[in-house]
Amino acid sequence: MNLQFIVDGLISGSLIGLGSIGITLTYSILRFSNFAHGDLMAWGAYGTLAVVGGVGALVGGVAPIGPLSFGWPLILATLAGMAMTACLALLLDWLLLARLREQGQSIIVVMASFGASMALRSLLEFIFTSSPLYYSRGIQMAMPVGFGIRITPDQIVLLGVTTLLVTAMHLFMSRSQTGREMRAYSQNPALARVVGIDVTRVVRATWVIGASLACAAGVMVGILVQIRPLMGLDLLLPMFAAAILGGIGSVPGAVLGGLIIGLSEAAAVQLIGAEWRAAVAFAILMAVLLVRPVGLFGRAER
Amino acid sequence: MSILDVRGLVAGYEPGLSIVKDASIHADEGEIVVILGPNGAGKSSLIKAVAGLVPITGGLVLLDGQDITHGAAYLRVRQGLAFVPQTENVFPQMTVDENLRVAGGVLARDTVGPRIDETYAMFPDLARQRRLAAGSLSGGQRQMLAVGRALIVHPRVLMLDEPSAGLSPKFVEMVFARLAEIRRAGLTIVLVEQNARAALAIGDRAYILVEGRAAHEGRAAALWDDPLVAELYLGQRRAS
Repeated sequence: MNLQFIVDGLISGSLIGLGSIGITLTYSILRFSNFAHGDLMAWGAYGTLAVVGGVGALVGGVAPIGPLSFGWPLILATLAGMAMTACLALLLDWLLLARLREQGQSIIVVMASFGASMALRSLLEFIFTSSPLYYSRGIQMAMPVGFGIRITPDQIVLLGVTTLLVTAMHLFMSRSQTGREMRAYSQNPALARVVGIDVTRVVRATWVIGASLACAAGVMVGILVQIRPLMGLDLLLPMFAAAILGGIGSVPGAVLGGLIIGLSEAAAVQLIGAEWRAAVAFAILMAVLLVRPVGLFGRAER
Repeated sequence: MSILDVRGLVAGYEPGLSIVKDASIHADEGEIVVILGPNGAGKSSLIKAVAGLVPITGGLVLLDGQDITHGAAYLRVRQGLAFVPQTENVFPQMTVDENLRVAGGVLARDTVGPRIDETYAMFPDLARQRRLAAGSLSGGQRQMLAVGRALIVHPRVLMLDEPSAGLSPKFVEMVFARLAEIRRAGLTIVLVEQNARAALAIGDRAYILVEGRAAHEGRAAALWDDPLVAELYLGQRRAS
């Protein structure tokens, strides 16, 4: 058996995990399944591409960093893309979702997010067409690391960045006042209000964090694969499966769930065929819901 | 002058379906005010409305003369009005320490630590369990944590919704003893209670709420023997 699926699974799993952090936070804090989350990921990737193009037009061609396929303009553009995606999420909430949330019927909010998802995707196709785009067209050689496993420098760096982002996110949620307030609000919104927590601030923080991480994941997909309007939609089911598998509201759970889904998908491609890849996330999701509905790190309501 | 003045309050969860109907109460500085009444009288809804959790459709809520009727719940906390709900009054998946810390968000950063130490000094049991999830505490310990958390902001008025509900007699005694201690430090307390005897024993004044209105007001000590009160509410309780 070729062990290459481990690297492939870790890479796609970390991207799924990074994206599912936003889904798990939105679900536990804002109390709805945000079907537009995948499209925030795609918008982040395209927004970053637009900034890279703008920087390129201003300063000309920039050499890649060492063996990587990209240079400093992409790093800068990703930070700008994260800010733009966060603004887009806040705008979406202000224009549409917040008004519907106030009515208290989460199914209406879910449907609205589904509609917003289609609108955002169509808009991307309208602006950028549906042809795939790339941050770099350079070809990277994968390095052998033993046991028949090969990995590219981009993959190593992106695994490191994901680890860094997830660790920072975990520390933020457990150590910072805003993180504590987000956790408190997800556990008991009414109590959170009477202990002096500004709900509007918590909602904003949830969108900003979720959308920024979605953008980061989108850019990573763009670096490793390609940028397409459907890139977010393709990852939506695995991201939901990861969030549910990890336990709704748990950041480490979402990441671990993402890794399990990624590794399972990669193993399925090798063992039973690529056409079963998407079905694996669904099968895991169903199995978890039947055996442990609260997920790995989730806790039953008391 | 009253520190908390509620005038003709009308409040309810659904538009057109008021639970609190023209209720007027007030609390003076350093007083313990008890709100009694039969089940469904609107006692809990009244203090939840004052805390900002139930929509207010009429009347006024004044805190130290300032109109807070339509302010957000979190702003009321910052203005000095703390509220301890009857149930689900801790964040179960957060530790005792985190439960206290999260309430310290309204304070200056360097004040949070000393205030938490102050709370642990007041409730030593909590200090011993600071690393435990609040959900694993007993009912009485949770109540102490909820009271400690409310006090961390040094409120001017502390409102409690049935703090004795579901507690063993030992814990009920302890909770009321602590409330009496807290009042001696100058805090104003508004207490909604079903345990009339225990509440009137520490209260200064009391209101009997009937069908969303304050039907009777009097000195707490005298209320227990008032025949009108017996008729309104306490009679059946004493008979039982």
